[in-house]
Amino acid sequence: MTGTGMTDPAETPEAAPSLESVIKGEVLRMYHEVAAHPDQEFHFFHGREAAEMLGYRQEWLDAAPAGAIQSFAGVGNPHLRSGLQGGEVVVDIGSGAGLDSLIAARQVGPTGRVIGIDLNPEMLEHARSHAVASTLPQVEFREGRMEDLPIPDATADVVISNGVVNLSFRKSKVIQELFRILRSGGRLSLTDIVSAKQLSQSIVNDPKLWAS
Amino acid sequence: MFTLFERAGFVRVRSSVVPGFRFRKGSTRDAAEAYGVKAVLFTASKP
Repeated sequence: MTGTGMTDPAETPEAAPSLESVIKGEVLRMYHEVAAHPDQEFHFFHGREAAEMLGYRQEWLDAAPAGAIQSFAGVGNPHLRSGLQGGEVVVDIGSGAGLDSLIAARQVGPTGRVIGIDLNPEMLEHARSHAVASTLPQVEFREGRMEDLPIPDATADVVISNGVVNLSFRKSKVIQELFRILRSGGRLSLTDIVSAKQLSQSIVNDPKLWAS
Repeated sequence: MFTLFERAGFVRVRSSVVPGFRFRKGSTRDAAEAYGVKAVLFTASKP
């Protein structure tokens, strides 16, 4: 429940790099749990229940492999305002098991391209298998960190992301990266958790809360 | 986060609260409410 939308402790002098690596490990652990045990209950909604709650269309879900839906852990619906057109290039930050990338791929069609980025190798393997099962060759998944995206400058027409940026210790850097990879005139549709109040330092420095 | 988008150079930054979002556990929901935690949809453009 960290969602420190208003804070960025790594950009303050007292930030400890070791905390960042601990938090990264906790994020990987949490999403491993979602991938490995999708039937388990977490403190956040996930799977089809979450997608339906957030307004994902039935036809999007019906067209997606069950595994892509089971591990879905988004916090909103970036497709509502993405306005994707055929032939566009989309980058999905924190693509997880691939549901949002697959939905985007159907919208941009065979002349478009979708690149999903995730730091979790296990999720990347799931996402790749879901793209193959969906017969969507216009999707690819790359391992990478959102603070240092493996994408050239001015590549994307659209960047989408769903509940991921708040997991970063360096949000300013992430957003600069989103800007860098967009072409001029490109657009962003991103859902995330933010807090209106400054979280206490004990919460900010708790890797388990950060990862959740 | 809104400010971070503008600082990075984005224009036409818009945000709206995601209406259907909530946490599953009541204790988490209570804590989220205490801190004003919300899910938000941001849109923005690169000039």
